[in-house]
Amino acid sequence: MNKSLLVTRPNDDCTTNYLSFWSLSVIDEAKRKGFDIYDLFAKKANRKDFDSYLRFQKPDILFLNGHGNEKTVTGFAGETLLISSKKKPVKNTIIYARSCSAATILGSKLISWGAKAFIGYIREFIFGYTQSKITRPLEDSLARLFLEPSNLVVTTILKSHKVSEAVERSKEMMYQNFKKMISATATYKERYSASWLWSNIKNQVLYGDMDAVV
Amino acid sequence: MTAINIYQSLDKSQKEELKKIVLARVQVMPKDLNVSVGGESVNKSELIRHIEKEDKIGEILMLTELEFLQDLAAGAIYAHE
Repeated sequence: MNKSLLVTRPNDDCTTNYLSFWSLSVIDEAKRKGFDIYDLFAKKANRKDFDSYLRFQKPDILFLNGHGNEKTVTGFAGETLLISSKKKPVKNTIIYARSCSAATILGSKLISWGAKAFIGYIREFIFGYTQSKITRPLEDSLARLFLEPSNLVVTTILKSHKVSEAVERSKEMMYQNFKKMISATATYKERYSASWLWSNIKNQVLYGDMDAVV
Repeated sequence: MTAINIYQSLDKSQKEELKKIVLARVQVMPKDLNVSVGGESVNKSELIRHIEKEDKIGEILMLTELEFLQDLAAGAIYAHE
């Protein structure tokens, strides 16, 4: 039986549209690795579909892109997909929430519900982007500095590395980008937004089994 | 401790000082640069409004700048070398 990846990609505002586009390379990598892909794109990123895939497909990796807070992660049009007060079947799943603050409360809750590991942010996930690129997010070299290292969390796990290694590699790439952004060769926009990437480095956390693999 | 709690722990004059510093910095933010934070996509003028109002987004950005400056001063940003 193939391993599987469930990815949520709402796209109803600029933030989620960027995350959605930048998730495509992760999906491609998962296909190359022979994973079954359950791609909840746009309106498909709703609670009904999400619950159904979670319950019946039991994905090995859950990659959440969307808005969030301490207790929730949302899908299309702000619909709640996960909330700390309602148990979901996440047993043996490795979860990465690319959303704000979900590690604060929801992350540990997911571990208590049986998730193997949870990676997320204890505060806001911040990224800078270029106004003139909003219709072509993948051409936005500034957003790349923030979103490529976050993709690395999932692509490292896809390659059967430990989750601790995934976080380590992601943080290392964030730090390399950060150093570039504060260097003399950086653009003004890069230098200006370096403090936001620094915040992501500090706030990315891993809960659960550090040695978990798919 | 959440971002907002740390911000709330500052006294009134510290908050005012921080606000001044961050507002001065945002004034020189490139116009083509936007930021996604706290569930919103924010441009320069909106960011200024959030900071002036000291609402949730404003507080998050002020705290982010405060932590960055503190880490810069403490040499923490070079600790990864």
